[in-house]
Amino acid sequence: MQEPELHDLSDDADYAASLQQGSASMMITRSDSGRSTSSSVPEGAEIVYSKDNVTIHPSQFASERISGRLRLIKQGSSLFMTWIPLKGQSTNARLSERERNLYTIRPVPFTDVRSIRRRTPTFGWQYIIVVLSSGVCVCVCVCVCNLLLKAVLLRIAFPQLYFYNGGVKEFLATIKQHIFIVRSLEDANVFLVNDFQNPLQKTLSSLELPVYIASGPSASVSDGGESSSYELQERIGGSIHDEIHRPSQNPGRQRHKSHDPARDLTIHVLEKFSLVTKFARETSSQLFRESNSNGYGAIERKNSSQTLLDVPHRPSTDAEIAPEPVPSDPLEFNKMTLVWGKPRQPPLGSEEWATFLDSEGRVMDAKALKKRIFYGGVEHTTRREVWPFLLGYHAYDSTYAEREYLKSTKKSEYETVRQQWQSISTEQAKRFTKFRERKGLIDKDVVRTDRVLPFYDGDDNPNVNILRDILLTYSFYNFDLGYCQGMSDLLSPILFVIEDESESFWCFVALMERLGPNFNRDQNGMHSQLFALSKLVELLDSPLHNYFKQNDCLNYFFCFRWVLIQFKREFEYKKTMRLWEVLWTHYLCEHLHLYVCVAILKRYRNKIIGEHMDFDTLLKFTNELSGHIDLDAILRDAEALCICAGENGAARIPPGTPPSLPIESENALLYAQDDEVL
Amino acid sequence: MSYAYLFKYIIIGDTGVGKSCLLLQFTDKRFQPVHDLTIGVEFGARMITIDNKPIKLQIWDTAGQESFRSITRSYYRGAAGALLVYDITRRETFNHLASWLEDARQHANANMTIMLIGNKCDLAHRRAVSTEEGEQFAKEHGLIFMEASAKTAQNVEEAFIKTAATIYKKIQDGVFDVSNESYGIKVGYGGIPGPSGGRDGGSAQAGGCCN
Repeated sequence: MQEPELHDLSDDADYAASLQQGSASMMITRSDSGRSTSSSVPEGAEIVYSKDNVTIHPSQFASERISGRLRLIKQGSSLFMTWIPLKGQSTNARLSERERNLYTIRPVPFTDVRSIRRRTPTFGWQYIIVVLSSGVCVCVCVCVCNLLLKAVLLRIAFPQLYFYNGGVKEFLATIKQHIFIVRSLEDANVFLVNDFQNPLQKTLSSLELPVYIASGPSASVSDGGESSSYELQERIGGSIHDEIHRPSQNPGRQRHKSHDPARDLTIHVLEKFSLVTKFARETSSQLFRESNSNGYGAIERKNSSQTLLDVPHRPSTDAEIAPEPVPSDPLEFNKMTLVWGKPRQPPLGSEEWATFLDSEGRVMDAKALKKRIFYGGVEHTTRREVWPFLLGYHAYDSTYAEREYLKSTKKSEYETVRQQWQSISTEQAKRFTKFRERKGLIDKDVVRTDRVLPFYDGDDNPNVNILRDILLTYSFYNFDLGYCQGMSDLLSPILFVIEDESESFWCFVALMERLGPNFNRDQNGMHSQLFALSKLVELLDSPLHNYFKQNDCLNYFFCFRWVLIQFKREFEYKKTMRLWEVLWTHYLCEHLHLYVCVAILKRYRNKIIGEHMDFDTLLKFTNELSGHIDLDAILRDAEALCICAGENGAARIPPGTPPSLPIESENALLYAQDDEVL
Repeated sequence: MSYAYLFKYIIIGDTGVGKSCLLLQFTDKRFQPVHDLTIGVEFGARMITIDNKPIKLQIWDTAGQESFRSITRSYYRGAAGALLVYDITRRETFNHLASWLEDARQHANANMTIMLIGNKCDLAHRRAVSTEEGEQFAKEHGLIFMEASAKTAQNVEEAFIKTAATIYKKIQDGVFDVSNESYGIKVGYGGIPGPSGGRDGGSAQAGGCCN
């Protein structure tokens, strides 16, 4: 940990003084005087509250309590909370470095906090429980032990933080200075964060008590009083070992029986946690470090805070959950998405792009480049150079000269294929139904593709003609696959970016190497992806999977458009290009698009289940999400889900599922279908 | 918005015959020649009045290309009405009607009301299918028939409403068990109260944002 020393800043007199002065100015003073360690806090961020001897009780044993420092950090317009275990405390002495890391609360933005519950027991210390938004993936990894596992099961709450030296009131007062927080109407000890929506949410938020949701909805709303908190504590007190291997007498644990298939999943999840923790650590430290250490700190901060600020504005997700609680399995995997996808970075610009190339134009570290693009995308003006690599048209180790040569040979190759259909005379076409139909279809579709964009609008737009020529040429280049609706959607951004006709064609060819099966006449490429998607949802959100199963929705046709044209109709044009370049990196996995689907579905799962959507309603609902999906947030969720699923997720995606390159031996068979029409 | 009944419609037919334009003309009363081609399915909705009863039409506009047939087939489920559209200027779109009809018969409920629409009747100078042929086909297969133009709006309103009137009459005649949603009919608050009536709430709300 970065907090080796123990500063006791906790006397309440200080805080009383701080309140008079304004806590912000106090902290600056402290920083100036060197009394406060600020090594982990970047410039522009400000510690507005710090309290030591705030303690977590992982079990009922006093010897296992962990004392730490609770902080509130203001960065831009965002407020973050952290809790770091402190060395030197007698009870902490036994903690290994690893355990310490596990319990640490990395900076969690208050946009991710739903409510704070204050408790003042008759005996003992005052404590708080911070309940996170119940949306997916907003949970910062706390630890990988049973504590987290249970906290996560408990609707994503951090463990109780006991204020040994007081300071709860100051803590809440400081929060109130910086963000919108209101006291719940139902419970004066519950403080609702980000609650500027409807009164319903107030009710719901106060129901989002950290109650162990045992075997049914009744338990989840049973009470919000001390008993539930004790229950929480009691449960946190158990060990993983108990939880998994010991059938409990407690009826609430009955589902942990030895034959519960979810148990294996739990074990698997636990195994994955070490990876996850490492990832989360990188993630959150990045938020606070990179903004200083690199050249685009200011932009990054802006971006990340925008992303965070987006959270409360999510349309109609949690705010409109049906009043009836959504049945929720205590082992539901979605609550275990412990990682917080990394904050999005600004896009790769031309100067930075140049640093990836050696003097002859080779990409020196393709993996680093892909990673960079995965997290930030590419600036629009740089896309023309970068996309051909991402698409696989250019080899990463090719030189400038080789690429120039390729361009000229490919240009003539393109023209040769184009000539094949251009040379068909009107007379010949009369006896060539297949050509006429194909051309007619393409002619009709290119004038129905992105015509609202200036690049394609207006009568006799030459770009529309190029779109037509490329598609028709492609249908001769790959006559078996031919043309299918949706291809023009995939080509449109490529031509828009690449501009050159021949280069656009070859980039499209490269893309179709992977996505061609989406357009097979028997739809096998689509079905295999939708099938893999169902398997991923089964893994990552089994209650949602069961809901789909019960409602005859397992064909996942409501995700058809998402998959077929890679979300092209779900986002505005610019966002689509950003998403595509991220997908094309294949940085974390080849099938990130399926995790994007899962992320979107999970974001709306409560609404879907709560409103008992049937297939028709669900299809309509997903269709109408178009234009309302927050890309950055979804990408972070997808990244987190992909990491959480790990090899287990990969195992659920059959080999050869697009956009994986087709398995060689089957290549010839792929398109060899009856093509009675086209 | 409350309704007595909600009818689910599906619009089918070859690509480029003007399905989406018919829908837009009906729901928005405008013709938009430059719109994106339909991938999968799009939705529209509008309230109409039949026999002084407010009826909501929830319309599914499907992609026409052959490749998507397997997906489109899953949309027939629970449709009360279908508009089967061809383009009077393209003979092949008329020739494919039988295969569309076969799909509809196979995947929709047997009592689904089908309206055959010969679209683009404003392009009479390019006509490739005569009105009589359309009528004949409709008669042979027990369909209602109209020629229409999404561009000029001719007969568009009529086609949608006449289909609804036919469905409504089937309800009155007791052909449908309206409590069974597989017929593509939902009873709203203003509908006939009965043991299974009064279901609305969510469904009305769910469809409400289309219009």
